[in-house]
Amino acid sequence: MFISFYRAAKFSFQDIIRNVWLSVVTIIILMLALFSVNLLLVAQVIGRAAVDTVRDKIDVSLYLKSDSAESDILALRAQISGLDNVREVSYISKQQALDDFQTKYKNNPDIIDALRELDSNPLSPSLIILPQDVNRYDSLIANLNKISNPIIESRNFDDHKLMLEKINAITERVSQAGFIMSLLFIFITLLVLYNTVRVAIYTHRAEIGIMRLVGGSNWFIRSPFMISSIIYTLIGLILTTVAFYIFLSLLQPYLETFFMNYDFNIINYFKQNFIQFFVLEFIGTAIINMLASLVAVRKYSNV
Amino acid sequence: MITLDNVSKIYQPNIKALDRVSLSIKPGEFVSLVGQSGTGKTTLVRCLIGEERPTIGKIKIGDWDITSIGKNEIPYLRRQVAVIFQDFKLLPKKTLFENVAFALEVAGRPTSKIKSIVPQVMKIVGLGSKLYRYPHEVSGGEQQRAAIARALVYQPKILLADEPTGNLDSINAKEIVDLLRKINEFGTTVVLVTHNRDIVNQLKRRVITLHDGRVISDQAVGKYIL
Repeated sequence: MFISFYRAAKFSFQDIIRNVWLSVVTIIILMLALFSVNLLLVAQVIGRAAVDTVRDKIDVSLYLKSDSAESDILALRAQISGLDNVREVSYISKQQALDDFQTKYKNNPDIIDALRELDSNPLSPSLIILPQDVNRYDSLIANLNKISNPIIESRNFDDHKLMLEKINAITERVSQAGFIMSLLFIFITLLVLYNTVRVAIYTHRAEIGIMRLVGGSNWFIRSPFMISSIIYTLIGLILTTVAFYIFLSLLQPYLETFFMNYDFNIINYFKQNFIQFFVLEFIGTAIINMLASLVAVRKYSNV
Repeated sequence: MITLDNVSKIYQPNIKALDRVSLSIKPGEFVSLVGQSGTGKTTLVRCLIGEERPTIGKIKIGDWDITSIGKNEIPYLRRQVAVIFQDFKLLPKKTLFENVAFALEVAGRPTSKIKSIVPQVMKIVGLGSKLYRYPHEVSGGEQQRAAIARALVYQPKILLADEPTGNLDSINAKEIVDLLRKINEFGTTVVLVTHNRDIVNQLKRRVITLHDGRVISDQAVGKYIL
């Protein structure tokens, strides 16, 4: 059994080397397919990270009347904390709001000067509410709207959800486009590999005929082509992994700018999930390639 | 024992390559199967190696009914029933040694066995000194000897020779027939398919004559009668 496998592997290597240009083209097409699948995965990872970034920043502000008593504010804060889907309620006092405002606009002398012109602190105290689950943002807004408290001056329910939906929609569209692209490349890979096996069989038709003549089993005749498809997969995957690592290294600086103040490193993500990436892609691609080879071999190896 | 029982092979639309052929060949016999071109000799050979299935009838080799043989069994049949052809069917990019070894390689025989068996068989067929020549470096007769060596490495019970001298001059043809006779003396059943009158007449062995797919003559010590 081992000897037969060794010989089948030997015939397979001979075939790859004898048809070197066909092998190169097959591997390149395979690389394109794998690269597009990896791109799709990265687009999803980046999209998810972008959505998470936005989610962390989504909050709801309740502006309170300037003369509200501290005890009333704390009571309201406690009431809101008890609501469903509330992760955290922060209280921003008048003074803190002023400090934050000054810090924010410290480089804008016009605004700072205008603020000085005023006799008193014009800012209101507020409660900043962070939702537990952004997807249930609507129900939180509805609950907050139900609260009727005289100290509430205004409610800033910016439509963060719209922004979130937009990001989700973009991520989804990128994923869909990537998915279609990947399917296309996988289909092309199937055709190319099918054709590669056909050409290999044509090149080896004399050998196949003689193998049959002298009692070679179907397994022995077909297995070199199956082994070739696994070798193509392995070489294609290794080269794609190297190329993709280089691509991610070039992409990372741009992502760092985009995800400023947010811990996101695509290379680390790639490294951490490398085994899953490699093994799953290898298994998936090997199965697809072997299927294409099997169909071609069954159809054309009856020389 | 090879037994053909009422074997017919009909190709579409209605071409009868073999028509109700019944015969038996005993172990160790040397039989010449003769007839003009297109009389069904090669079809019969193809049926005997499982390349074709008879439309009607049964073919048995010993107790083995090869008419209902499964695809997986064909390799084992081919190791029992070896065949050589007019065009030698050698691989041009392999040496004679490699060509003969190839048959054992595909059967999964160990390399050490291959290295010991192949030179012995090559010596028997008279190619002991030309192991590492390529087919284009030797004569047609020597190429056919290499093909015979390849057929013999499994020590088959039956050797089918389908027009083995068709591409050879008379001297080489005689040498090949002598070699087949020698192989037969070692106990292998030889079925020689030919339309070479001189060879058949010199052999003075059993001759089965086919005409239009039918056996028209079967003589224990026969002559070419067509």
